[in-house]
Amino acid sequence: MAKVLIPTPLRQYAGKQDSVELSGATVGEVLTALTARYQDLRAQLYNDAGKLRSFVNVYLNDEDIRYLEKDATPVKDGDTVSIVPSIAGGAPVLTEPAAAALSKDEVLRYSRHLIMPEVGMEGQLKLKAAKVLLVGAGGLGAPLGLYLAAAGVGRIGIVDFDVVDFTNLQRQVIHGTSDVGRKKLDSAADRMIEINPYVTIDKHEVALSSDNALDILKDYDLVVDGTDNFPTRYLVNDACVLLGKPNVYGSIFRFEGQATVFAYQGGPCYRCLYPEPPPPGLVPSCAEGGVLGILPGTIGLIQATETVKLILGIGEPLVGRLLLYDALAMRFRELKLRKNPECPVCGEHPTVTKLIDYQQFCGIPSQPAAAETFEGDIDPVEVKAKIDRHDPFVLIDVREPFEYKIGNIPYARLIPLGELPKRLSEFNPDAEIVAHCKSGARSAKAVALLKQAGFRKVRNMKGGILAWSDKVDPSVPKY
Amino acid sequence: MIRIQPDAWREMVAHAVATYPHECCGAMLGSVDDARKIVRIALPLQNASEGARERHYELRPADLLRADKEARDRNLDLVGIYHSHPDCDAYFSVTDLKNSCPWYSFVVLSIRNGAFDHANSWLPDAEQTKAEREELTY
Repeated sequence: MAKVLIPTPLRQYAGKQDSVELSGATVGEVLTALTARYQDLRAQLYNDAGKLRSFVNVYLNDEDIRYLEKDATPVKDGDTVSIVPSIAGGAPVLTEPAAAALSKDEVLRYSRHLIMPEVGMEGQLKLKAAKVLLVGAGGLGAPLGLYLAAAGVGRIGIVDFDVVDFTNLQRQVIHGTSDVGRKKLDSAADRMIEINPYVTIDKHEVALSSDNALDILKDYDLVVDGTDNFPTRYLVNDACVLLGKPNVYGSIFRFEGQATVFAYQGGPCYRCLYPEPPPPGLVPSCAEGGVLGILPGTIGLIQATETVKLILGIGEPLVGRLLLYDALAMRFRELKLRKNPECPVCGEHPTVTKLIDYQQFCGIPSQPAAAETFEGDIDPVEVKAKIDRHDPFVLIDVREPFEYKIGNIPYARLIPLGELPKRLSEFNPDAEIVAHCKSGARSAKAVALLKQAGFRKVRNMKGGILAWSDKVDPSVPKY
Repeated sequence: MIRIQPDAWREMVAHAVATYPHECCGAMLGSVDDARKIVRIALPLQNASEGARERHYELRPADLLRADKEARDRNLDLVGIYHSHPDCDAYFSVTDLKNSCPWYSFVVLSIRNGAFDHANSWLPDAEQTKAEREELTY
């Protein structure tokens, strides 16, 4: 007979006894006899798959059976079998350094990090193992992407579905003039890989929503919020709280910015600071109020700094402190942020336990489904159909006059791309406009330019006059 | 709920302050009456972590076994585990959760700049997916 010592909390499942005498030739047999006698004990010790739970260790006398013969360890009369949980823990370390080492090239690349003891090889490996999600590849996302890639953050995800336009270039320094019309994701990723080919970029070409946010965020160690609207900001915050991921927050307006780290180490979240969104329209966006082009650089780099600090586990994180920056006065101030025990998402009795409809939460009416969308491209066949139907719309050919002479669509008005900015007043802002060029690239820039100028119903004819020649009118020569 | 008697509480805080900036850990012995736990003795144990003890602790199973024996000898129960978070809030971190066990109360003491700041007690679930906060008095 062996004596099995029952830990206090389990005695309720073992007839309130502190020890049980059982027979069995091996530890496995003794445990089987134990759970056969006390069936409720089984669920405490074993998981659904019938394996000992990860925190359960079994000792024979004073030896862990894992270092003896495990379940087959023989048991003698008078032996004592103990059930001992394994317990450890500690303050959070965001990422454990990956086992992989740095290549010779990487050592050279990161040498200014490696010679600082605060970073060193261990820290650089942590950066390499880190997975960071940037929500937005705009003003804040631009410096974040550039510097996090340069610093060697191993995996950087970007969520964005926008296209680069001319008005972005004043501040979104990750994109260049030749990128206008390209997806911001592609433009940003190319630039980051150019800076540091050792990083991996995940492109998430979606609008973050309650349906996809948890799925996208769950694979990252931390999230950097570079959004410019309230619904997404609340969405990012709530998703971070629910997933237990830190949310490195920044926001900008005109000459002022804010930054802090939310939902980290039990610190406050965005809702502790702003339980309710402002009424729609009260706070103007950057598109309405303007923004100093350099401002997102300053704030984005504060976010990048905090991100790197959190990954390395060094310094004092910007938790429970809201940093306010005033570029005109050139002053930083700090406000104390406290966790709100009543907070609906991170408080003691949360009422928000899953993602909600953030458009509605922010008082933004959902868009009525339009009969025709004015997003994206339009096929040449559809353009032909519109002409034939006598639909009221404007077709602009943004090529050069010499190209127009080679071949054209008679319905189209020729306005070369370079002249377009001066001739916007020729169009009614409510008019439906289609732009085309030779293959679709220049007209994409024209579409971006028109949209930025306030024209809403603007589309690009896919494939340009070349596609028109292929699909609609083969008499138009290709060149 | 869990109540820590003054002598035991003083012992725990002194232990956490003395080991700062490292994490400390120990066992709490006392009695359980329904869901009400009373801690009468704090038993400081060694932080056996071989890594950065500023941010990590590990309890040797042998030490835990000894604590359990100590409790039995005194006619008490092992009711919980305590550890400190130097310069960090007293919440239950993912690391804590992933190395926890649902049978005990886990008291976390936040030590800031070498002085006691605040404490919380946590009850992790068996799947190690979440920990509920337990009412703590001391």
